[in-house]
Amino acid sequence: MKPLRVSVLAFAVSVFADVAMANTVVGKLELPPAPERPPLAAKGFLDRVDNPLAPVKGVNVTSQMIVVLEMAEGGKVESPAQVNWDLAGESFSRPVIGAAIGAEVVIKNTSKTARNLVAAEDPKLIPAGPINPTGPKSFRSMEPKIYTIGDKDAPHLKGTLVVVGTKYIATVDGAGRFDFGDVPEGAYKLRVFYKSGWIDKPDDAVNVGVKGKTEVSVKVPAGYPLKK
Amino acid sequence: MFLSKIFFFLVAFAAAVALTVALVMPRPAQRALVTEEHRRLKVACGVINILLTDDARNRVELAGSFARTSEIIGPLDAASSADKLDDTRMKQVRGIGENVMKTIQGRKPDFAILIDKRGRVVARVRLDENDYGDLLAGRPLVDDALAGYLRDDLWVQNGTMYFVTASPVIKRDPPVEYVGAVVLGHAVTNELSQKLVGSLGVDVGFFLGNDTVAGSKTIALDTKPMEGVIGKLTGGDLARDCQANEPISLTASKEPYTALVARLPGEAAQKKAYYSVFIKKPDEIGAGATLKIVKQSDLAPGNFPWIFVGGTFLIALAGGIGLMFWEADRPLRRLAADAVRLAKGDVERLAEDQHPGKFGSIARSVNIHIDKLGRDAKSAKKDLDQLLGPAPEGSLGTIDLLATALPPSRPGGAATAAAAPPPSEFRFDSGPVAAKAPPPRAPTPPPMRVNTPPPFKSMTPPLGQASTPPPPITVPPPMAPTPAPAMLGAASPPLTLDDDILGAPTLDAEPEVDPYFKQVFDQFVGTKKSCGESTAGLTYEKFAEKLVRNRDELMAKTGCREVRFTVYTKDGKAALKASPVKDEG
Repeated sequence: MKPLRVSVLAFAVSVFADVAMANTVVGKLELPPAPERPPLAAKGFLDRVDNPLAPVKGVNVTSQMIVVLEMAEGGKVESPAQVNWDLAGESFSRPVIGAAIGAEVVIKNTSKTARNLVAAEDPKLIPAGPINPTGPKSFRSMEPKIYTIGDKDAPHLKGTLVVVGTKYIATVDGAGRFDFGDVPEGAYKLRVFYKSGWIDKPDDAVNVGVKGKTEVSVKVPAGYPLKK
Repeated sequence: MFLSKIFFFLVAFAAAVALTVALVMPRPAQRALVTEEHRRLKVACGVINILLTDDARNRVELAGSFARTSEIIGPLDAASSADKLDDTRMKQVRGIGENVMKTIQGRKPDFAILIDKRGRVVARVRLDENDYGDLLAGRPLVDDALAGYLRDDLWVQNGTMYFVTASPVIKRDPPVEYVGAVVLGHAVTNELSQKLVGSLGVDVGFFLGNDTVAGSKTIALDTKPMEGVIGKLTGGDLARDCQANEPISLTASKEPYTALVARLPGEAAQKKAYYSVFIKKPDEIGAGATLKIVKQSDLAPGNFPWIFVGGTFLIALAGGIGLMFWEADRPLRRLAADAVRLAKGDVERLAEDQHPGKFGSIARSVNIHIDKLGRDAKSAKKDLDQLLGPAPEGSLGTIDLLATALPPSRPGGAATAAAAPPPSEFRFDSGPVAAKAPPPRAPTPPPMRVNTPPPFKSMTPPLGQASTPPPPITVPPPMAPTPAPAMLGAASPPLTLDDDILGAPTLDAEPEVDPYFKQVFDQFVGTKKSCGESTAGLTYEKFAEKLVRNRDELMAKTGCREVRFTVYTKDGKAALKASPVKDEG
């Protein structure tokens, strides 16, 4: 019994120690006006027409954004976790999703149509074969990279997978808010990804304290410029 | 003849030009037909594009009307608030959608999809009606509708092409907000295709790659050429395809067609959706084909310039005949008449100057030959006179010599050359051989006589002659020529020179009389008597001696085979003419 007690005690200490060291980082993106809708890639016989009853909605930029928190001095990448990404009908549940290097990305087809997904940047990233309705398909990426995943039979079906060297990845709600939980103490830099690339701006430094909530505010430049 | 040649050259040239025009004329017509056909296809293609665009506009308005239906707004607003859609809600919304569909006048949509503001399908009407809850957000048309746009698109579902339109559903009661979208779809069908080309006189087909979706005509067009054209088209304004593309040739059931393809817009373009306006190729127009399709009315006087064609023909015919008469018939007739006068002795020469061109040349040639004959005759006469000497009274008289060698025979006359023995057999041999063994001299057998040709000069009887003197007497050949000396046998005694002159002695020592010379002598004596001339001193021996000498000299001089003597009267006196007879070959 003695060894068992020692083990339980050690686990409890380590857990409490972690909790004691963990912090929460919350923030808000100061978003400029949404960019205009891009021209139609494949219009019909007519151009689209504004409805006369209500103003047309702008582009939903926040659904295409993720925020990542990386160690300022190249800290060790945490053990990878699993990232779930739903393929819901004619689109992914989120058009942009982030995953840590080595994390298992699981795409679950919740639609009623089988899809053949391929990463444009690396055709071998996703195992070949269709993803049947309700069926999953998983893969891993071992390098930080941006992948554009789609189905050649459904040109409108596009999703962007951003593989980064940190497990602290957050989505952004409609108001631009995001949060990271259980962030250890230390110096971090915060980067914002939009649509197909990183926002072109100086990285925001975030110093996470020993205890408590760290709030950050990140200003996104007008026009949502992307790094080349 | 020069003008005739020019005329016939012009006529032949005009005929060649007319033939060339007849053969070539269909080609420009064929090109014009093809050009017109292409223009017609382009126009039809453009018109169809306009009709499709107008149709899209009508369908967008229809979608807007559908989306503004108050019965739809509430259920979609409620569905947008629900975390999960259920079967009950689906049926309720589907029923509402069905009712709205029934109110649509005219061309009804083939399906309707009602979507909540999250992009979820709340209900489907008339197509996959039991499916719901799936996410349609993500398709550009739906995303735009949820964002507040009305637009159209082309979708392909289960091999069927749909013209789709979408409109946002907006709750107009404050606060105004988007609660969903409505998508209406119209299938591309054969009926729609037929309606599109109703009055265009062409056919249209809608294709997805090599699959035929619909068409105004049930026909299996060869899609490969069309796919080839579509494959080369990238970017650009699809609406300009009708003007930018060129018609292509293709076949359907082994029949040739001309087609013009244009891309279809929207999502379907990703699947190589296009439409093709096509028309059956007209038959090739060639000269033969043109003649086949000529109608009787085309040759009616009102449509065909018969007067011009007939007049041209008559002018050409009259010109040709006139020129032939003027340049050939008339001069030839004149030359023939002149020749007849020459033959009759009315004229001594042809009138060269009166005959133009080649006919004058013929006359000159004839005259030249007449002159030559005259010169030769004079020369021969002179020689004969030298040989015979002047004809004294009671002598042989004038002996004419026809300068030219007469033909051995004349048509209708008896052949002479074949019957006459070769001259060598009558050669007198005064040499040693003759002295040694002279063959018995047989009188020279006369050749087969032919009718004496008329003398070169007219032989007119002397004035004051009571009766017309007998015509030139042709001495008939002896019935049986005297056998050649060689035939007399080796026992014949040799001949002396006198024997040669006077003839070989007969067995009874009487002088040999040449029957031919004797006949000529008798005729000559008779003629002299008839002319009232004295025959005193005229003996056969002298006469024959003269003839033999004259014959031999004439044969030596002219190289003739035989000499024929003819008795005739000249200037009221008997005359003798010696005519050399040459071999035929």
